Order: sequence, then structure tokens, then C-alpha cells
Amino acid sequence: MNTALDIADLSFTYRRYGAQAPPDPVLRAVDLSLQEGSKALILGLPDSGKSTLSKILCALVPRHFDGDLAGTVRIGGTDISDCTPWELMTRVTLVAQNPQEQLLMTTCADEVAFPLESLGIERTALVDRVRNALQRWGLYSMAQVNPQEMSGGERKRLLLAVTEAVDAPLWIMDEPFDDLDEQWRHLLLSRILEKKGTVVVFASRYLDEFRGNFDSYCHLLGGTVGCKSEEEIVVEYDRECDLQFTPMQEELYELADHTLRCRNLSIVHPRRSVSSDQPFSLSVPEFHIASGEVVALVGPNGAGKSTLSRVLCGLDPLVEGSITIDGSVIAGKGLQTRVGYLFQNPDYGIFLPTVRDELGWSLHQIRHLGAQEREQMVSSCARLFHLDLDDNPAMMGYGARKQLQAAVYYLLDRPFVIIDELDSGVTYAAAFEIVSLLRKNGAAIVIITHDRTFARNIAQRQYTIAGGVVSPSEVGV
Amino acid sequence: MTTSTFVAGRGFLYIFDARAKLFTVLLLCVMVFLPIRQIGLWTLVAAAFLSAWYATDFKQALQPIKTILFLLVVMILFTPLTYRGGEVLVRLGEFPLVTKEALVNLNILVARFLGITYICTLYMWTTPMADINLALRWYGLSYHAALVLTLAFRFVPYIADSFRMIQDSHALRSATVADGERTGGRQRLADVMPTVTAALVVALKSIPHLAMSLEHRGLGRDTKRTSYRRLVAKGGLFTHLLVSVMIPTVFWLVFNTL
Repeated sequence: MNTALDIADLSFTYRRYGAQAPPDPVLRAVDLSLQEGSKALILGLPDSGKSTLSKILCALVPRHFDGDLAGTVRIGGTDISDCTPWELMTRVTLVAQNPQEQLLMTTCADEVAFPLESLGIERTALVDRVRNALQRWGLYSMAQVNPQEMSGGERKRLLLAVTEAVDAPLWIMDEPFDDLDEQWRHLLLSRILEKKGTVVVFASRYLDEFRGNFDSYCHLLGGTVGCKSEEEIVVEYDRECDLQFTPMQEELYELADHTLRCRNLSIVHPRRSVSSDQPFSLSVPEFHIASGEVVALVGPNGAGKSTLSRVLCGLDPLVEGSITIDGSVIAGKGLQTRVGYLFQNPDYGIFLPTVRDELGWSLHQIRHLGAQEREQMVSSCARLFHLDLDDNPAMMGYGARKQLQAAVYYLLDRPFVIIDELDSGVTYAAAFEIVSLLRKNGAAIVIITHDRTFARNIAQRQYTIAGGVVSPSEVGV
Repeated sequence: MTTSTFVAGRGFLYIFDARAKLFTVLLLCVMVFLPIRQIGLWTLVAAAFLSAWYATDFKQALQPIKTILFLLVVMILFTPLTYRGGEVLVRLGEFPLVTKEALVNLNILVARFLGITYICTLYMWTTPMADINLALRWYGLSYHAALVLTLAFRFVPYIADSFRMIQDSHALRSATVADGERTGGRQRLADVMPTVTAALVVALKSIPHLAMSLEHRGLGRDTKRTSYRRLVAKGGLFTHLLVSVMIPTVFWLVFNTL
């Protein structure tokens, strides 16, 4: 059997301009060889270099993100060091962790069609391939919808549809299962297993779907990749994560006593890109959460979880109904200053050049805080969330950016916090730690997740969105 | 960079062929600088506004005015000061503050500005970006040039989207009154600068990702590109092009001052 992917002695260091100390290498002497048709899983903590490695394999790094690369990567026997990304597109396709990075076009159909147009595929075949890919990933009815108006999971499905349409022999997938609900996770797994070519999946959590389904299990640790048996890798990775996968302990906090309650909410979220007599709508007959509680909010991709969250934190308006906190009707700014919202995509909430700036931004508005007190709060918060104050958030991994987002709300000490897909891009252990820290002062937490095991182990109650209605349900079901 | 300027709606403008529509846009934009009566200019603005209202809704139709409001205010405040000649209407001591000629010129300037804004906006609202790309290519632009132009059309709305996103994020992080929130117009003004800076940084940061994605999707290949979309002019392209010439011509014949 031929070798599909051969990585030899690969090292990579990002170039940082103006930094006093030379940056640490992200990858150090990586060696990996995969046979044609093999399916490999590479587990690694956030910021361990998974996204960097995945982009190197598609010749996108250091071409677009400066750095020093050493070693060789061969795909199908060809050294890719002299290849351009467009030459490689027929050999390898990347599914990035953050779909927003990769989406280009203003409709789903155009997004899938773009690479096929580049390949010069004749129109009849092109139309067929676009239709088939969209149908397979449940997006055909949304062919003319702008990806900007879709949920995170739907965007991920769109990227998977593009990957299917191009059908390169090597798929590089960076956290492809994140943001997908159970139905689409199963489909993705079956597509990976059915694929005749080679698939490399990078992940920061060992999901149930991975069990026994890959022929190579590897661990990206300290910049190098080691491959062992599945059992050994899982044990080793758990140890690295320091994973105590037991239900979260109920600790006695000095609880504040606040309750947020919604009654008969009606939410409408029209799409600009398509005309529809029936715009997306959501009905919430009853929803409540009290201080100290952790409540899971689950539902399929595109069900309206993020839409509901934006209304709960006062960013989007209501059509009908009311939201009360401790019995008083609250809207707009009142909600914004009481309900924190960690966006699904951390980049929607992080904009400043350093971690210090990002953490300090909100504190600057509080009059009674002195500069020294502010600095102290920022430093201790950074320590709690394992953040380096001088790091540039743009250069941090996806998971680390999620941790930074959580740290911001820890400092703000909101009585209610909504966390949108915390479990994507961070380890279970990190997710538990973040929730514990945010609960320290008695905050009520709403966790949006597709991971039932995670929900079962972290939440006390659960609401499910199905058919446009939010209703209570059994946790983890 | 998936920001779209297209707004789904109803009416003739959505059926009008993208190539013919682009020609009308160009002719109308040129026409507003030709000798036309002021009532003609305002009729054009009113027609464009009503078309936008019919195609979308009233709130959406007001959007272009909101976008250029600041510039309109600057125009209204400062244009009169640049015309000193003619009949003086308001005088500040010896200084002629407002003259009749200044008001006439201001009226023309504002009508032209609004007219061009609405005409171009209507084109962007009623034509999908991929069709604009195809229309530009029909006029002889290379694929790369058309792509660069359509990306440029999207870049400003993308910055605007980023600005709104950052505003949302900052709103969620604002201090409560109990925390000693700094309020007032001065504070709000001071808050705009970090938001604008952050929006520009976000826009700049998106450039390597955009380049990465374009190349990964095959931009740069020697293969002749095919096209998923096709421009279809119902009733024939000639009819659409005829209409595209007729609209500005009728306007010109009715309102010209020659």
C-alpha cells in the first residue's frame, strides 16, 4: 500500500515581530506516516499546534502566516514545500476549526461551487455535485441563504459539504465534530469511515464517536506527535488533561439569590438573503434559571439556541412576552449588564491586542477601581484561567480564546452567564474548570451544548429546543 | 467576508437582468451631473426611495440615509459657507452667511449625493453578489478583476458588521450603574474610538484568512474557470438592455434644462 501522508522531522515556529524573547516552536520534529485509506485521530490540547499542523499540511502555513518551517511533508509521495495551495487542492482539503475563517461566498450554493469552478468542472456535473453535497449535509433548502445568517453548526456542515464536493483523496479535519449535533456527527463519522481516501482528524476531546473507529491514534504533545494503541493514547491524553470526568461537585458557595424568568416569549429572526413568508421563529412558554444553577440548553443545529441567547442577554428584541429578573421586567441595557454571553465564536467578543487589554477593558469603566486594584484583578484572573497577560489573542488557539472570553465574564461577575458551545475547542477538564470559576460567586449558568455526556455531567436541569419551541427535558437526553 | 449586500425582496428590480441594471446605474449616475432641473433630481431620489421601499420595507429603505447622515449634515453645515456671491439671505455682521446661490447649490449637491447613493444601493440590494461578478465579466472584466471588485464591495459592509459585533460585545461588558458606570455623551464618544479601531483591526486580520481560503479553493489555477451561475434575462437580454437605456433617456427628456 502507498503512503498517503509522510511527515518527517517537521518543526515550525511562528515569527513574532518586536518580541524580546524568541518565541517557542509550536511543532518540534514531528514524524508521522499514514498509509492510503487510513483514518487517523490526533488528540491535542488547545494551543498544542493542531490548527497550525493542519494548515501546514495544506501549504497554507507559512505562506499566509509567517513562521520558520523545517522538515518535509509529502502527500502522495510529492514534497509539498514547492507546491502552492491551489496545486494541492486536488490532493488535500482542509476543514478548519472555525468555519468563519474559510467561508468566502454569500450563498451556500456559491460556496460549494467556488472550488469546483476553479477545477474547471463542466457545468452540468458542477450543478449535480453542488446539489448532492448540499443535500447530503441537509443544506439544499438553504442553498441561497447567506452563511452569515446560519448557525455555527450549519456553517460547519457547509464546510463539510464543500469537502465532499471537492472529494480530494486526503481530508484534514480540525475539530470537525465540534458544533455538530448528534445526527450530523453520525453522518460525519459514517462519511469518514466510508471514504476510500485518507482522513486525519484533529480533536481536543476524546468523543464517544472516536471509539474503535480509527486505525491510528496519536497524541500531539509538546510539539511532537506520538502514535500508540487507542487505549494507551486515551489514558495518556486523559492524564495530560488531568481529566476527572465525574459529575461536577456541588460546592457551597455564598449564593446570591437571583432568578431570571421568561414567560410566553416569541422571537422572530428574519433572514435578509431569502424571502420567506414564515421567518425563523421561536416560542418560549416558560424558562427560568436561579443563582447557582447550571442549566443545559440543547437542540439540533439551527434550532435557535444562539438566537434565544441573544434575546436573553438583551442584544436582540422580543416580539412578545417578558423577561424578568427577581420579579422586575428587564430589557435592553438592563439585561446586557446582568446576563453575560460567551459567544459560540470567541472572535465575536475579543478584539484588543493583548490579554491584559482585553481583561482590563471592562474594568476601566468602573469608576471606583484604582489602577493598582485593576491590575491586581486582571493578573489574578489571568492566573486562574491560565492566560499570559502579554499574549496576543489573535495568535492564541481557538480554545485559549474561549478561555479568555470566560475570563472576561469572570471579572464582570454577572449574576447570569450563557455559555455557547463551551465544549467546542476546549477539553472537558477546562470546560468544567471554567464553569466552576464562573459559578464561584453564585452565577447561574446556561450551557449550550450538543454533547449529551457533557450535559449530563455538568447540568442539573435541561431545556430542549425542538420544532421552534423551548421546553424542559431530562438532562442529557 | 461572507457579508452580503443582497436583500431579498419583491418587484421589477429583482427580475431586471444584472447586466442591463448595471448599465442603467451607470447612465443614471452620469445623468445626475448633466444639466437637469432640480425637480428632476428630487424626482429621481423619490423614485429610488419608493423603489427601495417597495422592494424591501420602509425601515430598510431609510437605511442609506442613516448611513450617509453624518456626511449630509457636514454638507448642509459647510457648503453654504463656500458660496459668497449672489443674493444674501443671512448675514453675520459683514460676513454673508447664507446666499440664495449657496442654497441652490446645496440643494443640487444633496439631491445628487442622495440620488447616487440610492441608485447604487438599490443595485447592490437587488442583485446577488455572484450575479454582479458575472455582469462585470460580461462587460469584459477578467475573473480576478471582477472578484476583487465584488470583494471590495463587501469589505465596507464587512467592517460595518464587525463594528456592530464589537458594539454588542462591548455593550455586554459595560459596567452597571451600581459599579459606578461612566455615562454621558462624552463617554459614549470616547467609547467609539476603541470600537472603530477594533473593527479596523478585525477587518485587517481577516485579510490573510481570505487569501488563504481563496488559494485553498483554487484561485490561482491555470484551469479555465467554469461558472455555476448563469445570468438569465427573461424576455431576452436585448429587451432588458432597451429598458435600461429607456429609463434614463425618458428621465433626461422630461427634466433636462437644455
